[in-house]
Amino acid sequence: MTEVRLDGATVTVPTDNSPGHRTRTILGPVDLVLTQPRVTVIGANGSGKSTLLRLLNGLVTPTAGTVTVDGLDTVRHGARVRRRVAFAFTDPISQLVMPTGREDVELSLRRLHRSRSERRTAAEQVLDRFGLAHLADQSVYDLSGGERQLMALAVVLATEPGLLVLDEPTTLLDRRNTIRLRALLDTLPQSVVVATHDLDLALAADRSLVVDAGRVVFDGDPATAVQHYMALADAP
Amino acid sequence: MNGPGLFTAHVPGTSVVHQMPLWLKLVGVLGVGVMPWVTQSVWPLALMTLALAGVVLAARLPARRLARSMRGLLPVLVVLLAFQWWSHDLAYAVRVVLGIVNAFVAAGILTATTPVTDLLDGVVRAARPLRRLVDPEVVALTLGVVVRSVPWVAGSFSSVRESARARGLDRDPRAVVVPTVVHVVAFARSTGEALAARGLTDPADDDAPGA
Repeated sequence: MTEVRLDGATVTVPTDNSPGHRTRTILGPVDLVLTQPRVTVIGANGSGKSTLLRLLNGLVTPTAGTVTVDGLDTVRHGARVRRRVAFAFTDPISQLVMPTGREDVELSLRRLHRSRSERRTAAEQVLDRFGLAHLADQSVYDLSGGERQLMALAVVLATEPGLLVLDEPTTLLDRRNTIRLRALLDTLPQSVVVATHDLDLALAADRSLVVDAGRVVFDGDPATAVQHYMALADAP
Repeated sequence: MNGPGLFTAHVPGTSVVHQMPLWLKLVGVLGVGVMPWVTQSVWPLALMTLALAGVVLAARLPARRLARSMRGLLPVLVVLLAFQWWSHDLAYAVRVVLGIVNAFVAAGILTATTPVTDLLDGVVRAARPLRRLVDPEVVALTLGVVVRSVPWVAGSFSSVRESARARGLDRDPRAVVVPTVVHVVAFARSTGEALAARGLTDPADDDAPGA
């Protein structure tokens, strides 16, 4: 299992562009060691969940403290971290950057397989594994929301990373596709960290974090985490 | 966001056009593109339009995709025709419009009959002599993203126009242009973030497995 370690990780942003500008802390400091296969992150909109997730593959770098993945610092070894940590966004259409799923999977595999024929064979295997071979040559615009989300996962998992990070993957899905996605996540060999408002998904984890106002305010078993989150959400 | 046009996706096939080498298709697109500059008459351009229609048929590309692509371009062509007619003459205006239509269809045939990954490989090969100046993979990736973004931008424009019409603002250019620009900038940011998250913008030399 992949080990993610956050030591005093803090993210601040400037509040204006003037010289000697003031800053606002949007996350942290956070101290965590994540080793469990399934971790969920829950919290209100704007609480800092997405920023916490983006720290894990170096999309956001800490302004103080450190984040390491299997001992690799996300600032100094960003490229190597991103090979280990795949990231799936809420809206798969921004994730799918090629006209068709097959072409997108092949794009993921370009640096692993220089030969075109090897790349095609590898892409075929990935699409078969995810049950998406019949959709491989359709325009990404013609796929349903659920199909797009599965295709986006196939695309980022094609390189077989050790950790998959998902930012609210079920937000745009109906119930049937949410159940399909949840079933797929259950079968993945990768460690998974997922931010979600889907409390059923949150409850299915090994560990849950509750984030509020840029702080991890609860870290523990999912059932207690959900209660904690609901108490926060219901508070006046 | 919108239905598929010629630029949206590769149409698999076994036609002569599909099997043509990439370099020949690129030379063809280039030739069609420069034609308006080397001819002073409408007829060669009109003949080229007919020839391209023949290529679309030979490649068995769905006519509705071509029609859908052209429908999006039509308002621009009408405005352009009127402006060029007003500022020059009708023959000049027709030449300009036919030149654009031909270039648009030729580029559409290229993207519809060539998988984007083959295009990327071709661009990487072509850009290899310039690798001291620019990473060929980045050039190829940029081209791929542009090809994929064209239908998105067209679809975004169409959605924004519908929203403006619903609010009775479709005659106000600001109500269409400003939200479209905002959408496109947001799309560019999210695409950039997705590329970065996948490590596709990382330098190649930091990328070797086991590095």
